[in-house]
Amino acid sequence: MGAPRKMPWKMALALVALAMVPVVEPSLPQRLAISEPMTDVFVYAILGMALNVITGFTGLLNLGVAAFAAIGAYVFAISTCEIYPFQLGFWPALALTMAVGALAGFALGAPTLRVRGDYLAIVTLGFGEIVKDVLVNLDSITKGTQGINPLPPPTVFGAELGSRGQYWLLLAFVVVVFAGARSLERSRIGRAWLSIREDELASRAMGIRPDHAKMLAFATCASLAALAGALTASRLSSSGEPSNYDFQVSVLALCIVIVGGIGSVRGVLLGAIVMVGMNSIVLVKLTEMIGNTDAAGASRLAETHGMERVWVFITTWAQNVLLSPTNWKFLLFGLALVLMMMFRPQGILPPRAEHEAPPEDEGTGPAPAKGATP
Amino acid sequence: MSTILEVRDVTMRFGGLVANERVNLAVQSGEIFAVIGPNGAGKTTLFNAITGIYEPTEGAVLFDGHDVRREWTPRVAATGFAVGVASALLAVLALNVTALWQAAVVGKYVYGQPFPWGEALATVPGTLHAAGFWATWGVAIAASLVGRLGFGAIWHSQRRTPDLIARSGVARTFQNIRLFPEMNLVENVLVGMDQHFRCGFWSCLLRPPWFWRERAAMRRRAFELLKFVELDRYAGDLARALPYGYQRRLEIARALATGPKLILLDEPAAGMNPAESADLMRLIRRIRESGVTVVLIEHDMKVVMGISDRIAVLQYGKKIAEGTPEQIRNDPVCIAAYLGTEVIH
Repeated sequence: MGAPRKMPWKMALALVALAMVPVVEPSLPQRLAISEPMTDVFVYAILGMALNVITGFTGLLNLGVAAFAAIGAYVFAISTCEIYPFQLGFWPALALTMAVGALAGFALGAPTLRVRGDYLAIVTLGFGEIVKDVLVNLDSITKGTQGINPLPPPTVFGAELGSRGQYWLLLAFVVVVFAGARSLERSRIGRAWLSIREDELASRAMGIRPDHAKMLAFATCASLAALAGALTASRLSSSGEPSNYDFQVSVLALCIVIVGGIGSVRGVLLGAIVMVGMNSIVLVKLTEMIGNTDAAGASRLAETHGMERVWVFITTWAQNVLLSPTNWKFLLFGLALVLMMMFRPQGILPPRAEHEAPPEDEGTGPAPAKGATP
Repeated sequence: MSTILEVRDVTMRFGGLVANERVNLAVQSGEIFAVIGPNGAGKTTLFNAITGIYEPTEGAVLFDGHDVRREWTPRVAATGFAVGVASALLAVLALNVTALWQAAVVGKYVYGQPFPWGEALATVPGTLHAAGFWATWGVAIAASLVGRLGFGAIWHSQRRTPDLIARSGVARTFQNIRLFPEMNLVENVLVGMDQHFRCGFWSCLLRPPWFWRERAAMRRRAFELLKFVELDRYAGDLARALPYGYQRRLEIARALATGPKLILLDEPAAGMNPAESADLMRLIRRIRESGVTVVLIEHDMKVVMGISDRIAVLQYGKKIAEGTPEQIRNDPVCIAAYLGTEVIH
């Protein structure tokens, strides 16, 4: 019996720092508050890790991962919302959501086993649009564009979680999904996925059954994406409207995987922090700052100098849409992707080769080998 | 000595092109058997037909006397039935979902009251009946037929696949090396050992004690195989970083990892210098000594004549000669095939 490999100290430190955010935040000025947008980062990290299973490990380009998140959000909403009769608790609803997500993954995976590359990308893109349209048009169940709300807050052992508790819950889910993805990656299942990505014919000739492996990858991806959707719904206390799960979400998830390092779970975490952090924190805070400084500076100018015209000029300038960094986000995403492709196509933290110690020396490494060698 | 591989009247046709025509081979267990012939003679095509990458247009490939194919077992039949039922349910549900929901949920649920599950479920038959015969039974029957036929068609096209052949004890290497370049050497070998793992998805995710025991045992075996091909020093390197000759040896180790009784080597000495091909010959002999029968395609005559017990010669897709190295060397037909015949005007 052995324990998993030790967590690197850098990662432990980052985890502690993230966990401390809601504790120290109340004593900081309001403009430094980041725990709210950080939950966005966590949800996208889970979505990115979900996509990484199918696109990073197995090498199948999936442009419809948002559809699985939408399925997750709606299944969770329908099974918990009090306007419906089911009213499951938080944890049973989450389990149901992941199971339905896995079934949806099978449903998409089974007919597309022979489809590869660009063609699969188109099929998954179509799937994403279909799911969104179904959710809009099945309005007797899904409430159409209204979304389903309110949803009860998450509970742990019967206790309802506040905003701080929800932050920690999401962080815990990120850690669990991360550990799970790493475990799978470094097992026969992950190796089978990787071998299909590297050379499908060779992996078949070695006895790997690509159909089984791909279906499993689809189901795992869909189940995790559904989890991300359910967690978003639970945080917002609403399923959100179907257009919250459109193509942009899939593309953002894909950007996270590509920028972080395709096939690297650690990279995806970093990618989520960089991409969603830029989107939900840096750009938003910048916009707020520019808005505030201009208004404050302009009014001071106007007061001291009586310069009405300057006041008018500066306020109109400050309201200029071009001056709001949030409006630049897609340009910045595009720029980030182009620069990544030019200078670091493997991503920020690409997967790295494992150090392989021969079995004799393994006693100094991870515990399991020691236990197994008498 | 028994026949481990029998190729019986195999013809491979691609449209009008005949790559193999009525080829017959019988490889005895424990021998080193070479297939030679000029470029384009159909040697690799024959290997692909043997290992399930192609389905022979005519003829059969028998391994230990069996034509390796998936059987129509009760389990397969049950899966097909389940797929049919699932398609039928899904189709009926998709067509009637709004009506079912209205009757069962909207009609029976009063806000704040406990939900009468029995009454709600009792509305289902009535709703489906009201939808009409074709909207329920017609759709159900059609969808279940589509589902079952689709399953059957896919199953039928997958009866003889490379993974099944590999699992029945025939391993191979490729003419243009096909390693997993971004994986390290141990992982490459471990992919070959996949069929010997017992752990499933949940064990791999949750990692119980037996997962670690199996992992340690499998890694030890992988290192043994790397040592067998003398690559254990590079265990942690990426496969793409290896020199060409080493990549060939790694491919052999990966094929041996599947635990084969028969190994097919497609031009193992291609691109090797004389020292390397001498090493390779020793390696092939050691593979045979370990109890694995070897069939190889090779152009390097020194290797072929040096290690083969028997040789078959292909030309234009047909077998033109078979025999011991001595017989082949002196066979006028083979000399003509390789050097051409003198044309007398």
